[in-house]
Amino acid sequence: MHQKGRRRGLALPLACLGLFALDGLLFRTPFYPSILQPDSSAGTFELTLEREQQAQRLNGDNLVVTLGDSRFAYSPRLANELTAQTGYVFRHAGVAGTDVRSWYYMLRDLDPSARRYRAIVFGVTDYDDEDQFFTPDDDIRALHYVIARLRWSDVLEFALSFHSRKLQWEALRGASLKGIVYQNDILTFLSNPKKRIQYARAAHRDYDQWTYGYVETPRSLTGLQIDWKAWKVTFPPGLDQDQQDTINRDLMREPAPQTGRVAAYYRAWYGRILDRYRGSRTKIVFVRLARAPIPRPDGLVRKKSSTIRDFASSLPNVLLCDEHAFDSLEHPELFRDALHLNRAGIARFSPMLAEEIGRMLGSAGQ
Amino acid sequence: MLFNTTQFFLFLAVVLALFYGSPRRFRRYILLAASYFFYACWNPKFIALLLTLTAIDYTAALWLEKVAPGPRKKALLILSLSANLGFLGFFKYYNFLASNLALLLGKPTHSFFLDIVLPLGISFHTFQSMSYVVDVYRGQQKAVRSPIDYALFICFFPQLVAGPIVRAHTFFRDLFDWHPPSADDVSNGIFLLVLGLTKKMAFADQFAKVANRYFSDVAGNPGMVTAWSGVFAFGLQIYFDFSGYTDMAIGMAKLLGFHFPVNFRRPYLASSITDFWRRWHISLSTWLRDYLYIPLGGNRHGQWMTYRNLAITMLLGGLWHGASWNFVIWGGYHGALLGVERVFRGDRPIREEWTWLYPAKAILTFGLVLISWVFFRAADLPQSLQILGQMFSRPGGHTLLQPWHVGLALIALALAVVEEKFEWFERIIEAPAWAYASALAAMFLCLEVFGVIDASIPFIYFQF
Repeated sequence: MHQKGRRRGLALPLACLGLFALDGLLFRTPFYPSILQPDSSAGTFELTLEREQQAQRLNGDNLVVTLGDSRFAYSPRLANELTAQTGYVFRHAGVAGTDVRSWYYMLRDLDPSARRYRAIVFGVTDYDDEDQFFTPDDDIRALHYVIARLRWSDVLEFALSFHSRKLQWEALRGASLKGIVYQNDILTFLSNPKKRIQYARAAHRDYDQWTYGYVETPRSLTGLQIDWKAWKVTFPPGLDQDQQDTINRDLMREPAPQTGRVAAYYRAWYGRILDRYRGSRTKIVFVRLARAPIPRPDGLVRKKSSTIRDFASSLPNVLLCDEHAFDSLEHPELFRDALHLNRAGIARFSPMLAEEIGRMLGSAGQ
Repeated sequence: MLFNTTQFFLFLAVVLALFYGSPRRFRRYILLAASYFFYACWNPKFIALLLTLTAIDYTAALWLEKVAPGPRKKALLILSLSANLGFLGFFKYYNFLASNLALLLGKPTHSFFLDIVLPLGISFHTFQSMSYVVDVYRGQQKAVRSPIDYALFICFFPQLVAGPIVRAHTFFRDLFDWHPPSADDVSNGIFLLVLGLTKKMAFADQFAKVANRYFSDVAGNPGMVTAWSGVFAFGLQIYFDFSGYTDMAIGMAKLLGFHFPVNFRRPYLASSITDFWRRWHISLSTWLRDYLYIPLGGNRHGQWMTYRNLAITMLLGGLWHGASWNFVIWGGYHGALLGVERVFRGDRPIREEWTWLYPAKAILTFGLVLISWVFFRAADLPQSLQILGQMFSRPGGHTLLQPWHVGLALIALALAVVEEKFEWFERIIEAPAWAYASALAAMFLCLEVFGVIDASIPFIYFQF
């Protein structure tokens, strides 16, 4: 009986091991990431990574990779029209909705040797640290973007990088058993496996083509007026609800208490990236993007720190682009909503970015 | 604290640790405290109600044992049953009766309403308590001397809120002659716990999403195919939800050294409605048989009395589920089907042999049961009729089920058939550790991939 009991006692840990083995077999091998829904968070992230890995093989020693969220809207195609002049080829590994935590995992697998790029350019909207009501350390979307990149050794560190206990648990659970995070993707896959496989194949084959030539909408906010003193916005006729919502939500937001959480978050994640590139020939460049069609007044929030400036002043390979280099783009006619440049804005910004980066890095041959 | 939450599993782990880490004489106190804590997590105010009902029936049983048979004893029994039914009636049926009275008087239905919150599990623990008192009255059960033991019988947390309705002799047999669970009991308990969780989270909750989508907007989901798919989804939801809960309850009880009877025996493989009721919510159907149908006369007083008794039993069984005409109709519909079957079958026993006709009979039975679920799930009678109208209209609409829903249903069907024929669940518990572990791992994977984890969908039977 005791022997039987002991054997039974083994069964539960064995079952747990079996679960992790099955999970590993399905979700920690290249199999499942290859059939991810291309439009999903993880699917887009993986396609971007794969596309940029391929670009590394096709390009030479003059690659500059840019990373940012959807606000870092420029066209690598337009920027690369100046390659003859700047000497650099621009590639964009940014994914809409991501932040520095996701960029760390992207770069770790995109540039394992930490020497492949001439520069890594991060597009940010502020060099100072401003806490907002929603803090990026509790952005659980990161789990859904980087899920395929997480290794066993990342599980604990990744989970603890979230602030709230609930999200730490969600991240721990998801990073340990990836099937939980992939669940919706799996269910849509099972609804029509053939169609998914065809779509995933097409995306893996043509993603570069689909994205490299992407043209942004010409919609603009021309006529938008904001009276900051009266805290009043005047929408021009013809603005749709989404455009108005982004202005109310992202521009007309009340200042949040400055807790220092954003600074701690930036120190942790930019710090990890910069540690990887310590002693590397790769330059780390921060670019302050055009902030908004009508930027919020500077004195609205008293920012207590500037992690990015601190890094730039203490590390030799960290460069800051002129803070006001792209101020000229901060006009309603160049934005499609409160955050994003429109087609005309991108057309102006892309060569400006290429020239500015080229100027900062110097000749590609150096 | 739902069974399918992390908090509950932490609670269970603490209870198991305290239970087995304490001297034997303290263990029932630990279980009692844990059970009251579990109940208090929902609404601590109702602990007083639970204690009141416990005190009434505990005292009544002791008294009943002392009183000689006769009118006094009967009066005592009636007093106890009235107290139980009085509480149940007030909390569960007052507003139903009030709205019907208002309708009769031509007043708005809410005229006499009271703001009553239904105490969790009241239908289950009052039935359990009443059966104990009746058993003592009949001399089939000795009155329990210790109020702690009796209180534990009423509020034992694994089955407190949604059954199974455990008979006193079953519970006290295990309590008074408690043995540590055997290796097989532990294996079985863990297996049932994981199986129940899988049934609830991976099957019931996935089908719940489809059913909720349909029933929340019947007019917006027109067409015969749409209606059948929505009702089919609910049929699977309620089975997996309730049997999953029960499996977990039985599994937890096993881990604590208690052995509860089976409550579901693959009901959707039933070959007739009579057979269905021998497989569905067995603890309720046997309760109704022993404490209602048989006392009413059962089948001992001729054909018509048998039909009457069947009808009364099923109507009250329907009403037990909830205070609405829909549940009365649901019970009446099942009573009518049982009566019709009896007309055709006569006094011949039901044959459950698997012949070539069996699948056809099972499909027909399943279809008839699905129709009944319309009344069970619909918000009210007009919606029920609207859904039935859709189900029996000309073909049209589209299925709300994805292919993987159908896949899940087919897997469940295959497993049910294999269990019915070969009892593989029992075999797997006896099987070598690696086979048992593989079965658990497969269920874990199913939970991982299909389990609805972040949207907490309550167990359906918690509302009863």
